[in-house]
Amino acid sequence: MNRQVWSGQLLTFMINADRVGAAALVDKALAEGIEPRQVIADILDPAIVQLGRLWEEETMSLAQNFVASKIAEDTLLRCIPENSVSPQTKGAVVIGNIEDDFHSLGRKTVGLFLAAAGWDVHDLGNDVPAEDFLEKALEVGACVIGASAMMQTTALNIRKLRELIDSRGLAQQIKLAVGGAVFNWRPDLVTEVGGDGTARNAVGVDELCMRLQAQVCGEVTP
Amino acid sequence: MNSYQRVMATLMGQPVDRLPVFAVLGAYGAKLTGVDLRTLYSNAAAYVAGQQAVQSEFGFDLVMTPFVYTAISEAFGGETAWSDNQAPNIRRPGVRSAAEALLLPLPDPEQTGLLPVVLEATRRLANIYKEQVPVIAVLPGPGIMPALIIGMEQWMETVLFDEERARKLLDHTAPFFVSWANALLAAGADCLVITEGMASAEIAPRALFAERFLPLLTATFAQINGPKVLHHTGGRINHNLDLLPGLAGLLGVAVSSKDDLAEARRLIGADLTLIGNLDNLTLPMVSADEVYEMSLARLRTAGNSGHYILCNSAADIPLTTPTENLQAMLSAVAAYSAETGRGI
Repeated sequence: MNRQVWSGQLLTFMINADRVGAAALVDKALAEGIEPRQVIADILDPAIVQLGRLWEEETMSLAQNFVASKIAEDTLLRCIPENSVSPQTKGAVVIGNIEDDFHSLGRKTVGLFLAAAGWDVHDLGNDVPAEDFLEKALEVGACVIGASAMMQTTALNIRKLRELIDSRGLAQQIKLAVGGAVFNWRPDLVTEVGGDGTARNAVGVDELCMRLQAQVCGEVTP
Repeated sequence: MNSYQRVMATLMGQPVDRLPVFAVLGAYGAKLTGVDLRTLYSNAAAYVAGQQAVQSEFGFDLVMTPFVYTAISEAFGGETAWSDNQAPNIRRPGVRSAAEALLLPLPDPEQTGLLPVVLEATRRLANIYKEQVPVIAVLPGPGIMPALIIGMEQWMETVLFDEERARKLLDHTAPFFVSWANALLAAGADCLVITEGMASAEIAPRALFAERFLPLLTATFAQINGPKVLHHTGGRINHNLDLLPGLAGLLGVAVSSKDDLAEARRLIGADLTLIGNLDNLTLPMVSADEVYEMSLARLRTAGNSGHYILCNSAADIPLTTPTENLQAMLSAVAAYSAETGRGI
């Protein structure tokens, strides 16, 4: 069975919210000798990309996305030995729900997918003041901060973080990714709160972070 | 016709002088009366004064009982995060797991936390507006209720990975949903709007709703003796509309701004009232003329059946929405009535 077929089957398990079936599939792939990192790169990653497309088409629910994130987490745990530290991560990223926002599920899903994609994720939790985001980003050397908000009222609190980054002269070193349900309903809000970019779903955040990281590194990006 | 007669006639499919128009303006009452939101939602007199101010300012066809779900999460031990510019949120759920939630006693609507304040506000509104303006109570549906107790993430985890425990928790909390609904009706609410998150396309696929949560609605609705509207809770609901007719006491469904209104009518049949479809988030961002046009477009799409109430979708209208934009909704209904020959 080629890896495209494996990936297609994993996607089917994600869509059907079948965590057990997905785990069995990953175990089978490993048992057949596929290297763990290839399971991640050739089976998990394409399934996640396809999942993102389905979300864009509005055919996926939060429940299915939640199961998919758990499957991604399970796959990582099966493929990465316990206590091992990956020698090469994509870099550090700091995420959290902005001050006054307590809707954590989307953020946690983002964290799982980012970790699956190879990022060193620092999740600050709910109700995070702008100062804490920036302090942690400077501490861990993150070039991307991801601020989440579900409501319009709390999304506007992200402006404080924008102002703080700008006032410290860090706009070229630290990029601000914003996300949450309200940004899907009102995409213009991304600019209004000073975001450097957004993704419509947790699956798309890896690509967003890579794009923003490239901007920091001075690479040409489309 | 007064607002009460107009709304009840619309819900029952009877002729009206004009279509009703709603706007979810709970927190807006604080803006008009100058109290902070914590006072508004913690003091029955302050809340009722807010609704009186909203009614006096705009004259929409409803008054609302406090739309404050943190009163329920607090009643199960949760902690509330208060804000100056939005309705309160859950800072921390009462317990962290379904197993712990199963051990919690159910709150007494007349005794626990802020629940009596909500009931007292309902009684006062009913005393002032009974049979003049409908008193509409909003409450969370039985399928999403556990999320207020253990948090959304834990609830999703339980629903998706521990079906038996999820069923037990729903069995445990359903009697509270029923008792809370009946308490609101007994206090004077004329109609219940039940926000069932598990019916939303953004939360759960149709099969999950149909197999696990629709039977729960069927069982609990039969125990609540009053008119009900099922609300989309912010996400799309068209994918489930054909499943809803026949639920006990269901008179209408509130649809989201992303649902196709014409398709919604086809899916739900001729007998139930559709409510909403006006985008909440757009209201503070556009001109009054644009709100007028958006409103009129929806009335022209859905008003012909008579079973339609113009309303914003989702929860409270943002406090930054100008009064002119809200008045534009009323103007659109008047214009539509003139256009269609339903005189005011």
